[in-house]
Amino acid sequence: MVSSKQMVWLKFSLANLFRNGRRSFYTILAIAIGYAAINVFGGFTSYIFTNLKDSFIYSQANGHLTVFKEGFLTEGRLDPTKYLISHDEYARIENICKNIPEIVILSPQLSIMGLISNGEVSSIFVGKGKIPSRVKFIQKKATGMIGNLQLFKGKALEDEVMFGVGLTNGLSDKLGLDIGSNGIAMASTVDGRVNALDLEIFLRYDVPVEELNDKVMAVPLQFAQALYDTKSIDGMTILLNKDSNVPIVKEELQAKFKENTLNLEIKTWQELSHFYRKVKDMFNIIFIFIFIIVFTIVVTSIINTLSMSVMERTQEIGTLRALGLKRKGIIGLFALESAMLGIAGSFTGILISIASWMLIKLLEPEWMPPNYVIKIPLEISLVPAYLAWTLIFLVVLSTIVSVIPARKAAHKSIVDALGHV
Amino acid sequence: MQPIVEMHHIKKEYRLGETRIEALKDISLTIYKGDFVAVWGPSGSGKSTLCNLMGLTDSHSEGTIMFKGVDILSMSDDERSEMRNRYLGFIFQNFNLIPVLSALDNVTLPLLIKGDFEKTSMRSAQILLSDLGIGDYIHHRPHKLSGGQQQRVAIARALITDPDLIIADEPTANLDSENALKIIDLMRKINSTKGTTFVFSTHDQRLLDRVNRQIQLQDGYIFNDVTNPATAESDVHSNNTHTG
Repeated sequence: MVSSKQMVWLKFSLANLFRNGRRSFYTILAIAIGYAAINVFGGFTSYIFTNLKDSFIYSQANGHLTVFKEGFLTEGRLDPTKYLISHDEYARIENICKNIPEIVILSPQLSIMGLISNGEVSSIFVGKGKIPSRVKFIQKKATGMIGNLQLFKGKALEDEVMFGVGLTNGLSDKLGLDIGSNGIAMASTVDGRVNALDLEIFLRYDVPVEELNDKVMAVPLQFAQALYDTKSIDGMTILLNKDSNVPIVKEELQAKFKENTLNLEIKTWQELSHFYRKVKDMFNIIFIFIFIIVFTIVVTSIINTLSMSVMERTQEIGTLRALGLKRKGIIGLFALESAMLGIAGSFTGILISIASWMLIKLLEPEWMPPNYVIKIPLEISLVPAYLAWTLIFLVVLSTIVSVIPARKAAHKSIVDALGHV
Repeated sequence: MQPIVEMHHIKKEYRLGETRIEALKDISLTIYKGDFVAVWGPSGSGKSTLCNLMGLTDSHSEGTIMFKGVDILSMSDDERSEMRNRYLGFIFQNFNLIPVLSALDNVTLPLLIKGDFEKTSMRSAQILLSDLGIGDYIHHRPHKLSGGQQQRVAIARALITDPDLIIADEPTANLDSENALKIIDLMRKINSTKGTTFVFSTHDQRLLDRVNRQIQLQDGYIFNDVTNPATAESDVHSNNTHTG
């Protein structure tokens, strides 16, 4: 509750801001633009991070967690067959996961590589075999923009049709294998023999990394296992009901795997998505630059405004001191005025941020982010936490910065201040 | 007689660029409760400096000043601020009202600073402003008031805390004759009815004619400290009469 005494000080401070309305207006505007810059950029980065996350977890069906044989990610490239999860181990993992309510679905996978041929020429491919129905289930769980995007042309892969595969557009073009065409995939089995399978192109799609767009193939798990002549898998993705459950489920699974003497390691989606981490780091650096610019603008605007105010009100400061206001009272008065500038600027900034958000919603612009091969809708998110923290930060900053000119005012000689014209 | 301010061998020096100026040289005097004193003299004689020292807004270079029995050099800046707020009132030549506040808010300002601001404070200020004849202008801001009205608001502001001493620096300098006389009479009345002590720095002969005691300064010394025979009661300041 604000007491009547505090109300009078507030009224006094507010009235002081209107003394030079134009100057206060420009200061408030500078703070507001700074506020909006942080929040619009913050909202844009939030949109980017959310979509990259959703793309990795849902669109690419990588889930929140992936279980590998211990050492697969470091040593497995040299000899992947040594790090396969056997059918029996898979069953045990599935059994453990059944008792963890946060787990929505498991999706086994097998990474493969080999040659794909159209009968005349061949090209190398890399790919992952997954169970199509589970991939579809994970993709359906996506919310927001990613959930609404159709990311392939053709028909979806099917559990029952083993030879139906998907090619990236680059690979498809390179080999002239369009939807409905037939080809042959060749690879070494886990025993080192050469194996070949017929295939039919069901769909064409793009992968987020341009360099891989002429190399990747998506196949049903059954196809991958048949090509490698194995019943094993090399990883198992786990989809959780909530992103926030990642650490607790990871911990629980680690404990249970240890208890069941399963030599497995668990990686989170963040650990596996190098692209997400790199983009996040890049945006964080850009954010620091924007933050420094806003910080500088706000600090210089407030110091300039209050220094002018101190100069203009020197005699008044002398009067207040003569009437008994202590130095800290003078500092408090200017700090209060500065805090009000911060509050007014931040609330104006909220309005500008909302207006920007609405404008983008209205115009629905599209863009092609780095490493994307299709245009996607540009959005900015209004993040309540960003809005609140920016408000707190700018009000606190305004208040702290005011101390520099306010201290100067408070330490003026009363006699000199009273004699100031 | 109860002393409010006691000055013993006060010197005040300050620097103006490279030049050292001795504004006051060996001043000794006492201001008693109920005094109605004018400090006068030519420009540069040290009137304002003397008032500033009595008003605890400046510090002396040598000597001792006791304010209500306390050596002011022993006080911190905060303690002096509290003393000014509790025991002193100020009336300035340029009125020095806060332009963004109404007459009423200007008057309650010392109470607000003191931390004594209550709902009744507004009522007290209203009564005071009415007593001073500007009850109809309480919500006016200073720029909407005449010089005389502004000085009345300043007097009300000085009186609101019921101070022991009011320091008035050339209070009539910016007023026309009619308003100047009204203000002088008003202060005289407050002095006689409430016993409030006034110390004026002035050039105004009309004010000098109406004070009880006249302290004449010249070149930083007290040249004369006399009771005004026209106003003083029999022997109020007989002991203070001093010819420098």
